Amino acid sequence: MLTWEYPPRVVGGIARHCEGLARALGSQGYDVYIFTLDFPGAPDYEEQGAIRIYRTRSEVGHPNFLTWVLLFNHFIEKRMADISQQVDFDVLHVHDWLTAAAGIGFKHFSKKPLVFTAHSTEHGRSGLHIPDSFTIDGFEWWSTYEASKVIVTSGAMKGEVCGHFHISDNKVEIIPNAIDPSKYDGSVDKSAIRARYGIQPHEKLILCVGRLVPQKGIEYLIHAVPIVARRRPEAKFIIVGDGWYRDHLEYVANTTGHRWRITFTGFVSDQDLVALTKSADVIVVPSVYEPFGIVALEGMAAGVPVVASQVGGLTEFVEHDRTGVLVYPRNPESIAWGIDHVLSNQGHAEWLVKNAREVVQKAYSWEAIAKRTGKIYKEVAEKGKP
Amino acid sequence: MSSMPPPQVPEEFRVLSMMHNIGAITPERSLTADELAQWTGFDVAAVKAHLQKLREGGYVEFVQVSGIEKYHVTRVGIMKVLTLYS
Repeated sequence: MLTWEYPPRVVGGIARHCEGLARALGSQGYDVYIFTLDFPGAPDYEEQGAIRIYRTRSEVGHPNFLTWVLLFNHFIEKRMADISQQVDFDVLHVHDWLTAAAGIGFKHFSKKPLVFTAHSTEHGRSGLHIPDSFTIDGFEWWSTYEASKVIVTSGAMKGEVCGHFHISDNKVEIIPNAIDPSKYDGSVDKSAIRARYGIQPHEKLILCVGRLVPQKGIEYLIHAVPIVARRRPEAKFIIVGDGWYRDHLEYVANTTGHRWRITFTGFVSDQDLVALTKSADVIVVPSVYEPFGIVALEGMAAGVPVVASQVGGLTEFVEHDRTGVLVYPRNPESIAWGIDHVLSNQGHAEWLVKNAREVVQKAYSWEAIAKRTGKIYKEVAEKGKP
Repeated sequence: MSSMPPPQVPEEFRVLSMMHNIGAITPERSLTADELAQWTGFDVAAVKAHLQKLREGGYVEFVQVSGIEKYHVTRVGIMKVLTLYS
């Protein structure tokens, strides 16, 4: 498995996805080799049961992002070549374009089949407005072309990948993301957690978790704050995460006249994130582009009502007014309505949470997702035999 | 709503990103402001101003080597850089 982020190098959903998948595959009898980048404090080599993690340092750097990507891919491929002297890999699984060059190069060297998971596309993330984006788009197309099978996490992504890259429908498999619901089993001192973030017992905690980048739509939630506050004077908002867009979001927050209601925490530890999630009254996922939306699934597993944009993969597991509330993207009025809808009716909110938990437990366990992924590995390995 | 045009990636974030890409991510791989200016193409004064802001955010740290400050990206800084591309 090749990925540019793997814990403790965690930013978006890819690291969590790879970790959950690797663990579940390991428990199902697969030997999993992870090739990823180094991270300060993390060992270059680590064994976790059936998982072996190779963290590779790029020996040569470059300030240009794309040049740096190609350089670290070279060093990852070199490490794979070294390890392959002792290990005969059956399948190569590349997650997103960032490690595709190493994966594709090694595919041709080793004559092993390649599986590519497209977690998102540059076309969807940023649009194709700058030369770098066209290069990334090209890498993504190349990855889907070289792969024996392409995995996407939602029907929306399948449509996007098949349509944009002009690849056949039967080459692309939908295997959703998953989570480990057991991490929400423990008890949490909610009043202590809320107090730490300045939330009084009578106040309502509205939580938003995500990278602070435009596609997460957080500015629309911030614009919704004054509208929510008119209906709910006890509302407070916590925004967890960081990113290059943070300064702009704080500027927008300053213009609302309700800055005191909004807390930006930056990155928080996993433990704090679980505690905050369990202590929230609502989780809002205001994305404008979302191939899957694992934060919504986390909220559903944690037993917190979810208000999410009606975009992408979110619409495939958040069923409006049954497992959560869907609102119009880029629409602060609609977001405010969704929050108020959940906070206004405790009984209904509890019913949403109950339905949501059932859905998560039935369809989004790592065990189920690993079985489906393993089936694809077997299929491509079998086809690849002479 | 705000009429402010969509922002570009802030300049100090570009410096942070370049520091990450050239490998200045641990104390032993730290670089001076002069070296960073050479790598990134910004002038030294601009680099120093950006480093100050990045330090205040916890995204870079410095070590003293023979009385000279050498800077590297912190773990939180690495995670912030990755948000641009993830």
